Amino acid sequence: MQVVGCSHHGTSIALRERLAFSGEQAAEALDRWRRVFPGVEAVLLSTCNRVELYSAAAGAAEAAAPDRQQVAGFLAQFHRIEPREIADALYCHRHAEAVRHLFTVASSLDSMVVGEPQILAQVKQAYDLATRSDNTGPITHAAFQAALKCARRVASETAIHRRRVSIPSVAVADFAKQIFERFDDKHVVVLGAGEMAEETLRYLQDDGAHQVTVVNRSYERAAQLAEAWRGQAVAWDQLAEALATADLVVSTTGSAETVVTREAFAGIERARHGRPLFILDLAVPRDFDPAIGERPGVYLYSVDDLLAACEQNRAERDRELPAALRIIEQETGRFMAELYHQATGPIIQQLLAGWQKPKEEELARLLNRLPGLDAKGQDEVRRAFDRLINKLLHPPLQSLRDESREGIPSRLMDALRKLFQLKD
Amino acid sequence: MLAGVQIICFAASYAVAFILEVSRMVFRSGVRGALMLGFAAAGLVAHTAYLYHRAVNTPGSPLSSEQDWYLIAAWLLVAVYLYLMWYHPRQSFGLFLLPLVLALIGVGKLLARSEPFAREPASRVWGLIHGTAILLATVTVLVGFAAGVMYLHQDRRLKRKLPPPRGVRLPSLEWLARVNGRALVVAVLMLVVGVVSGVVLSALRRAGGLDLLPWHDPVVFATLVMLLWLLSAVAITARYPIQRQGRKVAYLTLVSFVFLAVALAAMLLLDTAHGGKNQDNTARAAVGWVVPAAKAAGFTHVIAESDCSGSRFRVPGRPHNVHSHTEA
Repeated sequence: MQVVGCSHHGTSIALRERLAFSGEQAAEALDRWRRVFPGVEAVLLSTCNRVELYSAAAGAAEAAAPDRQQVAGFLAQFHRIEPREIADALYCHRHAEAVRHLFTVASSLDSMVVGEPQILAQVKQAYDLATRSDNTGPITHAAFQAALKCARRVASETAIHRRRVSIPSVAVADFAKQIFERFDDKHVVVLGAGEMAEETLRYLQDDGAHQVTVVNRSYERAAQLAEAWRGQAVAWDQLAEALATADLVVSTTGSAETVVTREAFAGIERARHGRPLFILDLAVPRDFDPAIGERPGVYLYSVDDLLAACEQNRAERDRELPAALRIIEQETGRFMAELYHQATGPIIQQLLAGWQKPKEEELARLLNRLPGLDAKGQDEVRRAFDRLINKLLHPPLQSLRDESREGIPSRLMDALRKLFQLKD
Repeated sequence: MLAGVQIICFAASYAVAFILEVSRMVFRSGVRGALMLGFAAAGLVAHTAYLYHRAVNTPGSPLSSEQDWYLIAAWLLVAVYLYLMWYHPRQSFGLFLLPLVLALIGVGKLLARSEPFAREPASRVWGLIHGTAILLATVTVLVGFAAGVMYLHQDRRLKRKLPPPRGVRLPSLEWLARVNGRALVVAVLMLVVGVVSGVVLSALRRAGGLDLLPWHDPVVFATLVMLLWLLSAVAITARYPIQRQGRKVAYLTLVSFVFLAVALAAMLLLDTAHGGKNQDNTARAAVGWVVPAAKAAGFTHVIAESDCSGSRFRVPGRPHNVHSHTEA
């Protein structure tokens, strides 16, 4: 197995964009791959952070398997890029390294934000697309299914996925969701138009929030944003009314002064009658007076508060990393041993077949000499012969399995061929 | 085979489930959730078998003794725990509920009396209603208490802007406030049913020519104060919609737990007609189906002896001529 590709590690976003595949392009590329490299399995993984082409070949197709340059040429030709432009940017991993890389990617340990959950779904989609377009085979089936299993192990046996590290994700997952059980009946008020507000809103909308009010000093700008975010715009002078009915507030104005002072909030608080309020103040300088956070039922978080939580999560994640890497190593070792062991299949079959024929001959001769033996006795004799063959074959088969852990046991296979006069 | 099931069997299972729950804070494991559920469920099966065995072999069971009462309360709490764990496997409910379960079993085993009481058919139905209602009120107050503690812990963490501690995930404040509010209302309803059925039982006793339980009995007094407190709490919180109750209800349920603890302690430790420490077991044995439930519940004012004929049993503080009706 081999992987050729590029990722956010060392490749510019400009080049990644040129090499990226849309869903339709990926299907077209896989179709073309089948025609250019017949019999060679392929899975194409294309996300905003990486473009990777996994390929594998077994048996007769092995001779047609492309090397790094050929894969680079295929990618360049598809995107109409000069091969030399991408030649240095692409990495190539083969055999166990390729499998380890796939497992690392699927487990989100190679992602820009380690532990982000989207990559597993993207790997699944890439594998499904390749399967639907008939580009997968025994090796890629085994490798991708093992990768999904490995990713699930990492997710269940470590906390690496549960620790968010971006400010909006921490704000929603570690704080907002700990205050509110559901968001579909909550009123979200957005002040300003910062990028982080948009990302936070996306997280909230993913969790069901749909009642969104946008407040901006410019009503036109508020109306534009409200349309984009499927909410309603409110004039700046109605801010107090909006805050009085809000459950969550995301604030990112560029104001140089405090937008909501403690005194102003006192009036708003009376109108709220003690309802819990989650305020995410992402503005610098802050939009809300920090003293507001001391009021009962008000949970006020600034960028600094969330940065501290992000750092703590990042440290927790780092602590989990060795355990996750151990799982990757275990699963890679297990997969490669299985793969190498499969290469010994023909030898094992020949060994079994070679012993089967003399067994049957000797058994027939013995039973002929014992005509008085009843069916039960004959059955016992047959079983004894089978047990004997199993015991005789066990040491060489076990040796093959043991040797397969390190690679294809070619020397041992040659020795067995000579010892037992087996033919390819 | 059921006779071989001892209290220590299910208590140990719950203790292991609790230790596994605590271990969430120390290390991660892919099989721990299944193990926790397995140990808690195995404990519940053994617990059920134990109570069933007692119910079959002990006249008057269930609720035939103080110990039964504590064990049934623990059984209900474990059922609540398993239900919550099944639907919210990542939440750390066990950290708050399992200690209460173990405490109930511990008190039942070490402090509560296990002798069953003789039956008294005339009041059987009212006795069962009384005991069951008080039992459910107690379990509900305990659930509310656990939810209240979780609420305050979660609220404190969120106010201090700390991310969730390793291995400890609690439900949202909104969920906890809702459970808290409902627990308060259900506790009041159950307690009202318990007290009213206790009054009926008292009337039956009076018709039988027996004395009423004095209102100043520590258990009766604590129970009535608790009922008044819960009614006031419900009245206070009814002024606000559920999403505005939050900390108020959490504190109210904590205070309710204190009243419950006082009532239970009074029943176990003081000389009260509800089965105080100095009370004669033989007299208690005569109470029948009415008092086992009521006495064990510890909140009723039904006196500790009862018989429709009204002639054979002692009133506390008076000389008596008792025929033991204890059924082992």
